Amino acid sequence: MALRTFALTSLAGLTASGLALASPALAQNAGPSSTQGPIVINGTVPILCAGGTLSASDGSFAVGTLIDTSTGFLLRTLSAPSRTLAGSFCSPRSTIQVSATPMIAQNFSANPPSGFSKTVHYTAVASGWTDVPATFSTAAATNTSALQSRNSAYTGNITVSVSNFTTGGGDTLRMVGDTNYLGLVTVTVSAAN
Amino acid sequence: MKTFLLPLILLSSAATAQVSGNPQPVQTRSFPVTGNSPNICVLQAPTVASGAQVNFRGLNGTLLQIDSLVDPTTLATKAASVELRFDAVCNFPHQLRVEASNNGLFRTATATAAPQGFASAIPYQARFKWGQQTLLLNADAQIRRFNEQSIRVTDPTAGNLSMRFEIQPGASNVQSNAPVIAGNYAETLRITLEPQR
Repeated sequence: MALRTFALTSLAGLTASGLALASPALAQNAGPSSTQGPIVINGTVPILCAGGTLSASDGSFAVGTLIDTSTGFLLRTLSAPSRTLAGSFCSPRSTIQVSATPMIAQNFSANPPSGFSKTVHYTAVASGWTDVPATFSTAAATNTSALQSRNSAYTGNITVSVSNFTTGGGDTLRMVGDTNYLGLVTVTVSAAN
Repeated sequence: MKTFLLPLILLSSAATAQVSGNPQPVQTRSFPVTGNSPNICVLQAPTVASGAQVNFRGLNGTLLQIDSLVDPTTLATKAASVELRFDAVCNFPHQLRVEASNNGLFRTATATAAPQGFASAIPYQARFKWGQQTLLLNADAQIRRFNEQSIRVTDPTAGNLSMRFEIQPGASNVQSNAPVIAGNYAETLRITLEPQR
């Protein structure tokens, strides 16, 4: 009896071309009894994450009019609908991180005069991925909750929201007039080795 | 014993290519946060600054009532002054415009010509301070006419817009200290914060 052991190493399964290459070699060991094996087959799933797709076509937070037009002060009732990243996944352990930049008047290039501000702070939250949502406040010097980890693979939705709008420099300041205040929220999911 | 090594290198790259949607070890999504702050100017109702009222009865709504327009012994104009303050804000470059309907205090009734030597109108000055800028409306009462002054304000401004209204003693549209002919005298001021023209 001729025993032949084959070690097949691959990132995926065999292909027809691979089997074709094996056939001539097997033919050289013909006899009354011929066994090939055990044949070890293994593969590797790459470390991958997907950020998901947006539930709405507009992937922005449109806050609208920021001020009380009878006083010029920032409205205390500002809000915007949350956004959902559907079908997000990470195949291994992972982290989620949220960061944000304050809303700043884009057309008012000068420094704001006394009594005025050109900055709106807010808090951005990414929830659903981890038990503790990732949270980032643009007014804070440090954001220790901005990065959250999970110890297992995950697939699901990430809900991103903005809230707690405040005037940069303090609530005694009014906002300069500007048609375009702009900030940016960034959500990052990363595979962890 | 023979060992066969099968070349399967091609399979490795094929497995990677099967991944759809371009997942990567790190994925990022960004969301703009947008809003706007409309251009506004707000001018609140006036109040009389404390301690800044001489020969005025005070403010009734938007009516400033002079207590005694003339000295009863000489009939010459008596000094009067008052300071009004308006809480105000303009959050964009703008202008302050002040309009006087008469260019002085003139008689409200249909006026006959004043006898020679009598004053028929009373001049005044109104000084405005708004932010870092000042504006003087000098109503000389020489001709009854519309008098308008304005200043451009380059910065957004908030706070008190102040107006100091002054009638000098003996002020007259003829010679100083001329007696003032009897009648009711009035002037109308209009103060506006608005976009620059």
